[in-house]
Amino acid sequence: MIELNELTDAAQKAFPADALSPGRDESWRLVAEMGWLMVRLPEEDGGLGLGREASSAIHFEMGRVLSTTPLIPAQLGLLAVLASAIPARGEWLERMAAGDYVPLHLLPTRLKTAADGAISGTVGGVFDGDMAVGVIARLPCGYVLVPLDAPGVSVVERPIWDTSRRLFDLVLEGFKPDPALILTDDAGAHALHDAISPEAHLAIAADCLGAANAALELTIEYMKMRRQFDRPIAMFQALKHRAADMKTRIAAAEALLWSRVRDETATYVQCGAAKTLAAEAFAFVTEEAIQLHGGIGLTEEHPIHRFMKRAMLNLQLCGAPDWWNEQAGRAALAACSDGTLTDAG
Amino acid sequence: MTDTPDLDALRSEVRAFLAAEAPTGWRDASRTQDDFVRTQRGWFAKLVQAGYAVPHWPATFPGGGRSLAEQKVIYEELAGADCPRLLLSFVSTYHAFATLHECASVEQQQRYLPRILEGETWCQGFSEPGAGSDLAAIKTRAERKGEVYVVNGQKVWSTMAQFADKCLLLVRTSADGPKQAGITYLLMDMKTPGVSVRPIHQIQGDEEFAEIFLDNVEIPVSERVGEEGKGWAVAQATLASERGLTLMELSYRMRGALSRVAALIRENGRQDDRGCLRDFGELVTQVDAVCAVADQFLDNRINGIERIGDASIVKNSYSRALRAYARLGLRLGGMAEQYIAPITFGDLNTGNWMADFMNSYAWTIAGGSEEVQRNIIAERMLDMPREPKAWVA
Repeated sequence: MIELNELTDAAQKAFPADALSPGRDESWRLVAEMGWLMVRLPEEDGGLGLGREASSAIHFEMGRVLSTTPLIPAQLGLLAVLASAIPARGEWLERMAAGDYVPLHLLPTRLKTAADGAISGTVGGVFDGDMAVGVIARLPCGYVLVPLDAPGVSVVERPIWDTSRRLFDLVLEGFKPDPALILTDDAGAHALHDAISPEAHLAIAADCLGAANAALELTIEYMKMRRQFDRPIAMFQALKHRAADMKTRIAAAEALLWSRVRDETATYVQCGAAKTLAAEAFAFVTEEAIQLHGGIGLTEEHPIHRFMKRAMLNLQLCGAPDWWNEQAGRAALAACSDGTLTDAG
Repeated sequence: MTDTPDLDALRSEVRAFLAAEAPTGWRDASRTQDDFVRTQRGWFAKLVQAGYAVPHWPATFPGGGRSLAEQKVIYEELAGADCPRLLLSFVSTYHAFATLHECASVEQQQRYLPRILEGETWCQGFSEPGAGSDLAAIKTRAERKGEVYVVNGQKVWSTMAQFADKCLLLVRTSADGPKQAGITYLLMDMKTPGVSVRPIHQIQGDEEFAEIFLDNVEIPVSERVGEEGKGWAVAQATLASERGLTLMELSYRMRGALSRVAALIRENGRQDDRGCLRDFGELVTQVDAVCAVADQFLDNRINGIERIGDASIVKNSYSRALRAYARLGLRLGGMAEQYIAPITFGDLNTGNWMADFMNSYAWTIAGGSEEVQRNIIAERMLDMPREPKAWVA
């Protein structure tokens, strides 16, 4: 626990709350310096060897400042290489821990494979493709590390509403995977996905809830300062009840997040559901936040809109709410028939 | 939190007891109020005998002296085994106990506490028609005449008062000064002349609450707890007696009761109806989060890091989820739920969906309404300003 507090303190010092969305490249250097790229890398591989509590605590703080640096995809990329048996595994781990950016793109994409094995098509939604050395993507032959300097590989930025992040298309035109960089075959891809997707969900959930807390704090600060009818609007019960509901939604989602983080047996569906609850709470909080800010909330002068835009993107990452709610329903229905759902312990 | 070996041992011990003794079929045996009361008395007596009825009492009582962590284990197991909740004895073992233990004289404690374990039940005479969320506005008047107080007034929303032997009574002994300052705390025998009780017929057919009418009721001064005019502080001890364990227990019970919604989905052949699955999945996650937040609250309490407002967050999370649970069951149940079916007394998750739906308001209204909890969260946790007190009509 002391380690966690130390991490949180260090994060708050490195990324102070009053500087929202600090510069990406500078943040990336800072993140690498502090060892956060290798937080989850085992000690025998040269990393810090910390668990999900540590990485979640960091993502929570990075959400709080609407971080611009792609720490989550970078950590997932490292976990994917770690789980693989590629020949240059050690070398890649070292490079990635030191700051070479190789994000993992978890979800499959429709791509074409030619008779000679050359792959063409677009992998959308890659974070910060401009600074990547390579991208680990789900290709028809499995998860593959695609070096960005390989023939037939390019990245194209697609502008997004979220001002705190950047997304790119990874465009493949006759790309031929290097057999030495194939992390899994097609069959192994499912196992890798199921092993890493809980990590992705918990990381995004932590990002959501750190940011949701910050958005609530900003809103309450504004409500205490803004005066109408000769009193701070925070005094009106109709408004403060909404703030109380925002807090309650955040608190419940946070409790679920930490219980899933500590439960190594939590399934990827349970983690996807926890992410959905967190992202829905974040979206609810930011929607309310804009309304409670009134006119100023609709202007670029006030930062609250940036939280809303991040929330809307987070809702869609790693599977949308409809999908995860359905999966959670299916899993619970199955658990109810074999009696495991009632096991409260 | 992971259990220590001691807690593991306790868990196995309770589990073994419940495997042998947990009542089955109690829902069917609680179709009338009298049957419900009989079931409750029997189960309470069994738990007293086994040493699991009052784990929060001091070690001088049989089954007492348990740490909060141990209490949590006991309640988790009781919920997991789907035993009847101890409703009839709840006010006695929590509210009456806390009041007597923390504020009453040694003589009062010695007289009343052992009797609770023998089955004497208490009710709470706090709320009045004009004093609900604003409890300090009570008007029930007590006038001192020699060695007795003569009490006149009306109490309402008193849980199980129709079966109670004794009452924790808040009365007004002075109308001067701040309204909290004129309140006195009395212990009243329900058989005293002038006390009459009328059960309240709830919209779903249960009679969990009653009104108490007090007509020149004479209560000996020796039955006062604390000093005259200092009853408000005593009442705080009563109200603070329990929150964490009950909400954890209820949350775990609701989690178990999700299987009733699942059964409904299957009965209606909607296992592949994606909209239906989404709604169910959303509810399951909401309930999981309520269990997590109730669990975390207790762990924080055990570790002494509870914050003001935490209990309100747990209560509002639970009560909203309970409403959502009942609403979804009712919707999936369809037309069939509009025909009256027998209710189960004293249970929130019965699978009689129209009754459960109506009963689900119990937790958004009772025990400090959802709106009062929101005020606590906003004002005491988020530090937002209170509304000005003065109001001119």
